[in-house]
Amino acid sequence: MSTDGGFGVPGSDPFTALWTDFWGRMSSAGVAPPKPAPDTIEQMRKAFFEALTKHADEFMRSEAFLQAMKQSMDQALAWQQMINQAMQKGLASAQAPTREDADHVALLVRGMEERVLSKLEELGRRVEQLETPKK
Amino acid sequence: MATQPYAAMMTPDALLAQWQQFMSKMLAAPKVLAAMQRVRVGATPARGVYREDKLRLLKYESDVQPSVKTPLLFVFALVNRPYILDLRAGKSVVSHFVNRGFDTYNLDWGKPAEGDRYLGMEDYVLRYMDHVVDVVRERAGVERIHLLGYCMGGTLSAMYAALRPEKVRSLCLMAAPVDWSSKDGLLSVWCDEKHFDVDKMIEVYGNAPPQWLQSSFLMLKPVQNLWEKWVGFYENMEDEKFLEDFFAMETWLNDNIPVAGETFRQFVKYCFQQNLLIQGKLHLGDERVDLKRIEAPILNLVAQNDHLVTPSQSLPFNDAVGSRDRKTINFKAGHIGLAVGSRAHRELWPAVADWFEERSEPIGQA
Repeated sequence: MSTDGGFGVPGSDPFTALWTDFWGRMSSAGVAPPKPAPDTIEQMRKAFFEALTKHADEFMRSEAFLQAMKQSMDQALAWQQMINQAMQKGLASAQAPTREDADHVALLVRGMEERVLSKLEELGRRVEQLETPKK
Repeated sequence: MATQPYAAMMTPDALLAQWQQFMSKMLAAPKVLAAMQRVRVGATPARGVYREDKLRLLKYESDVQPSVKTPLLFVFALVNRPYILDLRAGKSVVSHFVNRGFDTYNLDWGKPAEGDRYLGMEDYVLRYMDHVVDVVRERAGVERIHLLGYCMGGTLSAMYAALRPEKVRSLCLMAAPVDWSSKDGLLSVWCDEKHFDVDKMIEVYGNAPPQWLQSSFLMLKPVQNLWEKWVGFYENMEDEKFLEDFFAMETWLNDNIPVAGETFRQFVKYCFQQNLLIQGKLHLGDERVDLKRIEAPILNLVAQNDHLVTPSQSLPFNDAVGSRDRKTINFKAGHIGLAVGSRAHRELWPAVADWFEERSEPIGQA
């Protein structure tokens, strides 16, 4: 029996040899059950995954799952909202800007941008109207 | 029989083989770590030619002589990064066009920050996309360009083509949802207003959080994503080519970005829950999105095994547009397989490049 485990790692050969020897002895003692062909195992695994996939899909469409999903999402949102509020209070009492302040500024800038853009568009249209008769 | 009590057991030979296999896998670990460290995404050289806020327009560089005048713009979804279209050599959709001499661009929407939560679909379609299309038109010196939209990017491209048809020469949708009436996809079931309060979510989080989106996508196929994939990894972890592809794919899959809150809210509400687009009832800003206004040639790429965007969500598009030149390719692949699958690169993409070439303005034509 070869003691070369074939892994190329120093020190691994005696370890592999032990197991090779052990299973060799088991084999010679008559422990030789019929072994399934590798593609049978492959097919069994495929069938198992397919069945699992089908049932997982069915389960994730079930009312029970959807209810549980909604509940856990509601709880997560409530928890996050509580954290947001606590943060906001903390920051406000430290006179630091909060996310709500940043949102407020973003909304103001956006409103201003929209007004400027619509004004520019209107001016563009008027310039076009003025230039049309000249052409 | 002496062997009967052991019938359910593996033979010692088989057990030994298993043990040896396990050992060799363990010894492949350094190779796995090395592959993880050297993972690179993006196969084709590209440079940014336009920027606006977070958005970047990439132009792919090539030594190939231009063969057609009409440029091609890729539009990807807002949920992940667009480099999936150019993931690695041999898995790059972009390369099929660049190597054919197309002037090829990719729109990278960028990563929205907290302050972008009020950006709506009208901002993405009527402002950002319109500006980018104008830049591409100007650079190429053409009136109309080719658009290729993937996933949600396809939906946005369809909206754009309906609102600005005069700028689109042809439109290709790739696994793009347009009709949410069927509930055959899990995502449609989960997004039902009975189970999902999108207003509340956006009020609390601002933008749609990437980790939340990521776990939802993962749970659409839990057996494949959490189990089968890793069994496959274990079996192939000694194969360097497999490792490189695997980690490139994992890099992209885990590179989720937030979606601007208002856009996410509108998309879930108006598309998933109210299905307004296909009915011609969707409004972006003051404009109604009427798909019948699309008269450009249409190519609809549908992935037969798509779990994210089911064929029933994409197929009705061709009947909803006003175009006469319409084609559907129902390809045997999954949602991502359409972009990175070997068969898609062998059979599908050369045909798609042919389709675009036939509908392009030839070089030298005014």
